[in-house]
Amino acid sequence: MKNILEVKNLCMSYSTIEGEVEAVKDVSFSVKEGESFGIVGESGCGKTSVAMSLLQLQADNGKITNGQILFDGKNIVQLNESELRSIRWSGISMVFQGAMNSWNPVVKIGEQIREAIREHYPDKSKDENTKKILELFNIVGLDSSVIDRYPHELSGGMKQRAVIALALSCDPKLIIADEPTTALDVVIQDQILNEIRKVQEVLGLSLIYISHDIAVIAEMTDNMAVMYAGSIVERGPTKEIFSNPRHSYTKSLLESTPSIVGDKVKLKSLDGEPPSLINKEPGCSFAPRCPYKEESCNPLREMELIEINNEHYVDACNAGKL
Amino acid sequence: MDKQKDIAKSIRRASIKKNWAMFKQSKLGMIGIYIVGFFLFLSLLQPFLFVTGIWNKGIYDPVVGYSEQFQDFLVVDCPKEYPTEKYKSRTDCPARNEINIRTLFYSDAQVGETIYQNLQPAPPSKKHILGTDPLGRDVFSQIMEGSQVAFILGLLSATLGVGISTLLGTIAAFYGGRVDAYLMRQSDLILMLPTLPLLFIISAFSELKVWHLAVVLGTIGGLGGSVITIKSQALQVKVKPFVDSARITGGSRMNILFSHVLPNVAPLALLFMVFSVTGAIASESVLSFLGLLNIDMSWGLMIYLAQVEGYIFSGMKFWWLILPAGLSVTFLAGGFYLVGRGLDEVFNPRLRKR
Amino acid sequence: MTRYIIKRIYQLIIVFFLFLVTSYVLFDAIPGDAFQSLLLNPNLPPEAYTRVEELFGLNQPLYKRVILYIQNFFKGDFGYSYTRYPKTPIELIAERLPRTLMLFAMVNVVSFYTGFLIGKILAWRRGSKSETWITVTSVFSYTVFYPWFALMMLWIFGYKLDWLPIGKFLYPETWYDSPYTSDEIFVSLIKYVALFSSVQILLFIFTRNIESISKRRNARLASFITLIVLSFVYWNSGDFVNQKIYAFNIAYHMILPVFTVTVVAFAGTALLTRTTMMEVMKDDFMLTARAKGISQKRIRDRHAARNALLPVVTSFIFTIVTIIDGSVLTETIFSWPGMGQLILDSVLQEDIPVAMASFSFIGIFALIAHFLADISYAYLDPRIRIQSQG
Repeated sequence: MKNILEVKNLCMSYSTIEGEVEAVKDVSFSVKEGESFGIVGESGCGKTSVAMSLLQLQADNGKITNGQILFDGKNIVQLNESELRSIRWSGISMVFQGAMNSWNPVVKIGEQIREAIREHYPDKSKDENTKKILELFNIVGLDSSVIDRYPHELSGGMKQRAVIALALSCDPKLIIADEPTTALDVVIQDQILNEIRKVQEVLGLSLIYISHDIAVIAEMTDNMAVMYAGSIVERGPTKEIFSNPRHSYTKSLLESTPSIVGDKVKLKSLDGEPPSLINKEPGCSFAPRCPYKEESCNPLREMELIEINNEHYVDACNAGKL
Repeated sequence: MDKQKDIAKSIRRASIKKNWAMFKQSKLGMIGIYIVGFFLFLSLLQPFLFVTGIWNKGIYDPVVGYSEQFQDFLVVDCPKEYPTEKYKSRTDCPARNEINIRTLFYSDAQVGETIYQNLQPAPPSKKHILGTDPLGRDVFSQIMEGSQVAFILGLLSATLGVGISTLLGTIAAFYGGRVDAYLMRQSDLILMLPTLPLLFIISAFSELKVWHLAVVLGTIGGLGGSVITIKSQALQVKVKPFVDSARITGGSRMNILFSHVLPNVAPLALLFMVFSVTGAIASESVLSFLGLLNIDMSWGLMIYLAQVEGYIFSGMKFWWLILPAGLSVTFLAGGFYLVGRGLDEVFNPRLRKR
Repeated sequence: MTRYIIKRIYQLIIVFFLFLVTSYVLFDAIPGDAFQSLLLNPNLPPEAYTRVEELFGLNQPLYKRVILYIQNFFKGDFGYSYTRYPKTPIELIAERLPRTLMLFAMVNVVSFYTGFLIGKILAWRRGSKSETWITVTSVFSYTVFYPWFALMMLWIFGYKLDWLPIGKFLYPETWYDSPYTSDEIFVSLIKYVALFSSVQILLFIFTRNIESISKRRNARLASFITLIVLSFVYWNSGDFVNQKIYAFNIAYHMILPVFTVTVVAFAGTALLTRTTMMEVMKDDFMLTARAKGISQKRIRDRHAARNALLPVVTSFIFTIVTIIDGSVLTETIFSWPGMGQLILDSVLQEDIPVAMASFSFIGIFALIAHFLADISYAYLDPRIRIQSQG
């Protein structure tokens, strides 16, 4: 199966008053057609920055300093604004974090979706568009009356479904979902996750699912990557990583997740906090907190992913360990 | 306990420093500060010059000073029809160093002679940087005096107005009910009244001096629309959890008002204050321009005098009578407005660039 | 929505009563008036003074006079003007109002539109060099010393360059043997402008339903051009052919005042729009709009500006309130005989009936404008609209 997206050595940094913040450092991964890829990590590890850079939606003070992003074989880093605009939404679309606020409060929902469709398919008539929107609503489980409603008339869950419908409206090949269910309660979360999975199967889309909730990643994704302080520390098939976590960070993540099966176990957590990314020094950023340090650990050595198993990559220092 | 106070003080100092750094980032605010600073310098310069004797009060006093400017004039007879070879239009005759024989009443000089006469208003020279006005008073000194008036009037009325509206706004927000309804209707009433005609009426039955005008402007401004805005801001503070926790821990209403609500409303109030200085300066200039103000010297008065004496339409010939005053009003009012914009960016994080 | 409206009307009436009482007391406090100076004519016997006082109820205590005044107000009886006898205040106001309205309706629309456009562009170009100095220029045109600036304009365009007339609103020579009064022309001018604008607005609303953006733009352009052509036909048909000369005369005189006031007034709207847009641009839905692949211009206009419109429209309606306030200076300087000049003259000459009547008129005007502002804000923001329904 072909790779719909290939990210190679992506580096992105923000320039702030206090200095350069290297939010994404040397990130590489690929997503196949129809595959669902997860990115997990704590707050501030750079997951959202990666997502934003895929569509070049980063803030004004952010810049991609290195790397390639190959979408359908074409490098989209160097494209100018108008070329990017044609890829946005019809090639890659996105469901943002806190999608509730993605809606313009003074425009009806239907009109906002129609706007996206009009941009990429300018010759369709109003009826065709309406029919398409109703189909989408059907898929995500929304009532057809939502078309003429304003955003504040909908509940959180409805707005979220509408955002998914919006993301699907231009038949994209890849959808990026950045913590789409964080603000919702667990019941709705379950429903939304099912919708997303259904949609993906029905339409054959690729999905990048970003979350800090490792349980959701386990449920939703085929392959995954674990990020820490701007770099990927472990990457591979989800099942493999869960059954055989190699990196200290991944292990700590899994150990800190409570489980309702098995004996009652005291949860372990990591001391310290993530490093400040402002004017960061070179070297392994996890070294200060790593609980499984060995004598061979050299904190000044840069991270480097090495394949240990079938498609299972991990940082070099953990490659030889068990 | 003392250590707490020290910590609080150092936090406050640090936050003031941070705010200042943010303010410096705003280009508009910095331009405004420079302009205001310049005029402040002007208003302080004048008493300094008088006190240290660099300027002779008899000559340079803006109201009662008098400066003689004698000069040689060539007597001419201005033709009735224009244009001629010498003059292009009526205002060109007499030219700078000439004098029309028809305006000479007590001299028997003939056309073609030169006479030694007093020239008022005098154009800018080394002695008088901006020249003199028709009464022989130094224009630059007048500008500085006007600057003092503008500052005093502006700051006085702004402080008064903001004090009143903050007080009323927070009271309305906190005591609610009838008090709120009454205060809202009152500010509706004030909003309804047109400001300028109201000022005319007030000036008709009491002679307005600077202080009176400041009080009137401050009161009208304070009781008007700003109460509504401050009230809504105070309401937003009221619903915050820390207010409830302050109530629970036994704080009285007044206490909460002062130690919690006011600091949160203060940025908005500061903003209002700066913007109302702009309005105060403008209103004062307009009123003195129309001759309704009993004031010794102000920028508006300078233009009023120029108009009354007929110098306005002489155009560029007597520019120093018209331009400095008009530009001063424009720039000082604008300067305060820019400072307000800069403050806006500091206090409202959504307006910042990043 | 209706409940909200009724509540506001009820409050309106109370405030208006308070306003009437306040204005009467205020005017009463002015020592002396033109009428008294007339009465002090030494040729009148002293009994005349007391008789007149009794006749007009001028010697009664304050509260009785206030009641009398309010009664008369609702009867429509405002007495006679002191200095322009025998005209009544109502006649004077009716004569002057169309002139002020015409001038300031024009000014408000033009300055609002320009200000919104400029503010929109300014906010979008945040941080660039041009933005800073354009904003600073706008600030200075906002705070410019208005009488001085107006006089400068008059001098440059009226005197030095001789392009535009210096004052008044018509050339007496042209109107010497005109069969129309200026009021009639004014009224027909106002009717025309109102007609034009309402047709334009209707067309705007009708073309909303066209799906394709470019087709919509073409339709609107075509309809606008059609309107212009129709206007030519309108002014050349029937009675309007004769009125044309006089109407143009008035329009020609309007150019300079409108231009001057617009220069000063647009800045307020521009700065407000800029600030509001800057706040809106930080909202999340702006990011979504960008992600959808829409062009920058469209994002600016249909997302950011739409949201910034609410406070700007409210302030627009509030500036309608200050029409008369602002017109005082303009009309004095440009010798445009309208409401502003009326109220200034009547206060300075102590012509109390006229002053009070115009003051009350301004008050009604302001109240209605506030009321409209509240209603339209509730309508424009769907959140408030739905809330007040539910």
